[in-house]
Amino acid sequence: MESASIAADVAHDDDHHGPPAPNVSSRVEAQFLGMLLFIISEVMLFGAFFTAYFFIRVVNGDQWFPVHGDELPKLIAGFNTAVLISSSFTMHWALEGARNENRNAMRVGLLTTFLLGLTFLTVQVNEYVHLGFAPHDHAQGTIFYGLTGLHGAHVFVGLTLLSFATIRAFRGHFTPKEHRGVEVPGIYWHFVDVMWIFVYSTVYLL
Amino acid sequence: MLNPLGSEQEAFRFLVWVAVVVGVLTAIVLVVRAVS
Repeated sequence: MESASIAADVAHDDDHHGPPAPNVSSRVEAQFLGMLLFIISEVMLFGAFFTAYFFIRVVNGDQWFPVHGDELPKLIAGFNTAVLISSSFTMHWALEGARNENRNAMRVGLLTTFLLGLTFLTVQVNEYVHLGFAPHDHAQGTIFYGLTGLHGAHVFVGLTLLSFATIRAFRGHFTPKEHRGVEVPGIYWHFVDVMWIFVYSTVYLL
Repeated sequence: MLNPLGSEQEAFRFLVWVAVVVGVLTAIVLVVRAVS
């Protein structure tokens, strides 16, 4: 009887229909690989916008701001830079909280990161309102709004991911072993931060 | 080798490195532009 059952199992293996089981790499987890490929595509997207910036400044040798009396508010953007960099520290604090089973640190860290990101976006929208020039006024304006707007869209996406993570944290999700829902948005958030450092230093400072 | 996509911790350390390097480079460029 037992041998018949084993024979049936073997026959079942041979009878396997449908697609083969997907190959799973033992070296990189699917979530990180997905984020890696996504961020590589994002770097290319930002690269295209930076190409336009360097084209008019280096290839054309055009004047960068101030242009036609329009200036960029370096100080406000500098304040925004500090806000965004601080949010990376609070994000890291949240992850450490998740790792060490400190649920309060995780919740407060995520909520603070979200609020700092929201502050950044609000200040940027306010800056747009008061700038006094539009994207169609000159090429410099087009590139300024293009680069900072592209980045702002990324902050918005980051905030959406952070809101998911924050709500989940307050609903009791995430443990020291399983906290990928905090870690992967964290990597994205740090990427958005790194990009802003490049955008701020090239567009506002150089 | 630091892999910023390996974990949030590495991404955070990478961010700190980028901030420091960009800060130093920007400072050098601004000082050179101010002097010349």
